[in-house]
Amino acid sequence: MKKSKVPLVVTLGVMVFLYLPILLMVANSFNSARYGSKWQGFSLHWYERLAEREDIILALGTSLKIAAISSVASMVLGTAAALALHRYRSRLQGAHRLMVTVPLVLPDILMGMSLLLLFVAVGVKLSVLTVTFAHITFCLSYVALVVLARLDGFDSTLVEAARDLGASPFQTFIRISLPLLAPGILAGGLLAFTLSIDDYVVTYFVKGPGADTLPTLVYSMIKKSKDLPVINALSSLMLVVTFATVAIAQKILRRQVRAVEN
Amino acid sequence: MKRLRELLGTAPSFLWLTAFVLLPVIMIFAIAFKPTLPGGEVGEGWSLDAVKALLDPSYPILLWRTVWVSAVVTALCVAVSLPVAYAMARLSSAWRSRVLLLVIVPFWTNFVIRVFAWQQVLHAQGWLADGLRSIGFLGENDRLLGNAFAVVLVSVYTYLPFGILPLFAAAEKFDFALLDAARDLGAKAFRTFTSVFIPGIRQGIITAIVVIFIPMLGSYVVPDMVGGADSQMIGNKIAQRNFSDRNLPQAAALSAALTLLVMVPMALKRKGERA
Amino acid sequence: MSGHLIFENVTRRFGSFTAVSDVTLEIRRGESFSLLGPSGCGKTTLLRMAAGFDTPDKGRILLNGKDITTLPPDKRPVNTVFQNYALFPHLSVRDNIAFGPKIARRAKAEITREVDRMLELVDLASHADKKPAQLSGGQKQRVAIARALVNKPEVLLLDEPLAALDLKLRQRLLVELDAIHDEVGITFVYVTHDQSEAMSFSDRIAVMNKGGIEQIGLPAEIYETPRSSFVAAFIGDTNFIDGRITEAIDGRFSRCEVDGLGAITIDNDKPVKPGDKVHLSIRPEKLVVSRGEPAAAPTQNAVSGIVEDVIYFGSHTRYWVRCGEWRLCAEVQHRTFLLDETPPTWGDTVWLRWQANDGFLLDQYRAEDEELLTLPEE
Repeated sequence: MKKSKVPLVVTLGVMVFLYLPILLMVANSFNSARYGSKWQGFSLHWYERLAEREDIILALGTSLKIAAISSVASMVLGTAAALALHRYRSRLQGAHRLMVTVPLVLPDILMGMSLLLLFVAVGVKLSVLTVTFAHITFCLSYVALVVLARLDGFDSTLVEAARDLGASPFQTFIRISLPLLAPGILAGGLLAFTLSIDDYVVTYFVKGPGADTLPTLVYSMIKKSKDLPVINALSSLMLVVTFATVAIAQKILRRQVRAVEN
Repeated sequence: MKRLRELLGTAPSFLWLTAFVLLPVIMIFAIAFKPTLPGGEVGEGWSLDAVKALLDPSYPILLWRTVWVSAVVTALCVAVSLPVAYAMARLSSAWRSRVLLLVIVPFWTNFVIRVFAWQQVLHAQGWLADGLRSIGFLGENDRLLGNAFAVVLVSVYTYLPFGILPLFAAAEKFDFALLDAARDLGAKAFRTFTSVFIPGIRQGIITAIVVIFIPMLGSYVVPDMVGGADSQMIGNKIAQRNFSDRNLPQAAALSAALTLLVMVPMALKRKGERA
Repeated sequence: MSGHLIFENVTRRFGSFTAVSDVTLEIRRGESFSLLGPSGCGKTTLLRMAAGFDTPDKGRILLNGKDITTLPPDKRPVNTVFQNYALFPHLSVRDNIAFGPKIARRAKAEITREVDRMLELVDLASHADKKPAQLSGGQKQRVAIARALVNKPEVLLLDEPLAALDLKLRQRLLVELDAIHDEVGITFVYVTHDQSEAMSFSDRIAVMNKGGIEQIGLPAEIYETPRSSFVAAFIGDTNFIDGRITEAIDGRFSRCEVDGLGAITIDNDKPVKPGDKVHLSIRPEKLVVSRGEPAAAPTQNAVSGIVEDVIYFGSHTRYWVRCGEWRLCAEVQHRTFLLDETPPTWGDTVWLRWQANDGFLLDQYRAEDEELLTLPEE
């Protein structure tokens, strides 16, 4: 019985398709040519230019600040939301669930537009603060989603056992539920962090003339067609950093798993 | 007593979401009915100007193009993702996680930067364009960038992982023994693929369609960066009304229209789930 | 009532389904008491209400005379051993056991001492620092028991604790559980659907069915003097015979006419008079099988029949014999070397005899309870 090779061929093709632009971009970051359309020799010129760009470093700082605050706040709010949705079944939770789901399905532009209109109507000045509010909102939904999935697999008899052994509901939550949910909450927080760092559209709509985040700065650089190859250098660096972070995280995770097994 | 505990537990996220999700969406529909002032501010009282502006003759084409491009991108993504999901689900566990990782890694680069990368690849004087012209695939005056082709290509690039992941998740749960049974009964490879595999992962396909189609309807960055004047989508119009024309009510009216448009596939999905 | 743990007219409904129906039960201090019954009979619901995870709709629960009906589980001096063990996966064996004492804020030295004592009791001292995921089923069960007992509860509740274990392990742990009960001396309330577990482990058993109690008593009482057809059929196997009383015989016995079998003598387990319809339960091991007609004896019954089915179990054999219109099951213990004998086989004519005293008159009979018997189809 011959197994069709088509799926594997398509998969390989897709892999090439997915990586080609990125690899070209990394290659081009070392291209001394200005427009990267033709190779003109190896150069670290663009990385040097990158290091000189204070505005990029500033925008990176802003992005990190917003992402840090958003992930922490959304971990708290998202976990609270997931706990309520898991525990109770009522009309209130039906409405609650609907509102939690909206940021997950609504296109970015509508999220950005609607929040902008809210801030305008209420008279709040657009700034890093409004951006943070916006980020917390969609991060909340993602954290809630991840924690809810974790709660679905949670053994409720553990809670009963803790109560049986004399723990109050609060003690049970702190000593049993929270430690067991922690990996899910942290995973949600990590997801929130990456989503916040990566966000462009929503940020663009609600940031006003205020400070730039990395994506908005990159976008305006592209639009102004200034120093474009520097972006290649920036992207390559970001790729390396992300890879390194994930590799380290995996190593730590594997070490933890091995420790439990011993 | 239990009711009180529920209220207290739900309050933090509920209040936040009411303020930052419910109210904003209401605002879209509210400000659509407000007048606009010359300076770009929103005026007092109510007005139907912004809503009437929706009757502009250029809008139906815009709407049609948005839906059409979104549908094409969705169809292409799903069509390509199907064999990929199939291949991945049949791999050994070790290879499966490696390929999964490989699919997700491009995601880690910033979205804007990924589109920028394509901008360079599709550049009119770039190596790709030159190469295609030299073998006759591309006319002298044709461009790879600034048109609907680029929008579709880059959108497919962006949303491909959104197609692969849900389909792969569904394919993992699929009982592949069914395919062997079908082959045993005489069906050829392609036939088993279309009449056994595809219906078998129906839920994953529906998820993939929804997860690609709905965000595509609100596309803004991709048509803005690699599209041209004739490949504008509703998202671009909204941004234009908002940032260039400084006409918030009209931007709101367009957003309201897009919101209603987005609700259609969502409602269909709900119906499909209940069936 | 002077019992240690008392259920007083307890009722619990879930929507239209009544899980527990007006149950009154008195459990004595220090006894090992079993709630035995099929799934859905209400035994687990009753246990959960004793633990505090559920509240009765009607009735009260008393511990040492104090009403604990609405007391939350963390405030009751009662501990539970769960069916799925419910060990905290992120804590070591030692920390699992120490959980209760830590919550109760006992002194550190005392906690260490008590936990070590428990580890010795359940023979897990060498596994103290492992996590639950690294333990076998039997080991997990022992941790669960230790974790509950370390708190010195007034009552220990066990919810089908051996259900998830395989047969040999179950038997071994049951013996250990019995030993622990003897050593620790506190009141055990044990929920199970396995009648051999209940019979071997308990001081007293309450047989439950459909939310109510069918019978409470010592294991031997339950087995030898079942009050209803449910109890007779759920525990072990039996033969059901029904007939009509024809005459009284010197006050203690009566004559009973059984259609399709003949007249038999029965013991008056309850007051009967001629004309009454009665149902009799005779355990298979009480029927003595012989080839020749037994000598007549005053209160002995003897019937003959043809052997229809034979099942050999090694230590004993069961025969299904057609006597008249009835199919009776007799169990024969092989007390001597079997291969030297020629036991009855299919088609043989045999005599079954039993003393009038060996049968028992049921208070209640329901035809559907016959489905609980593990006899081969006709």
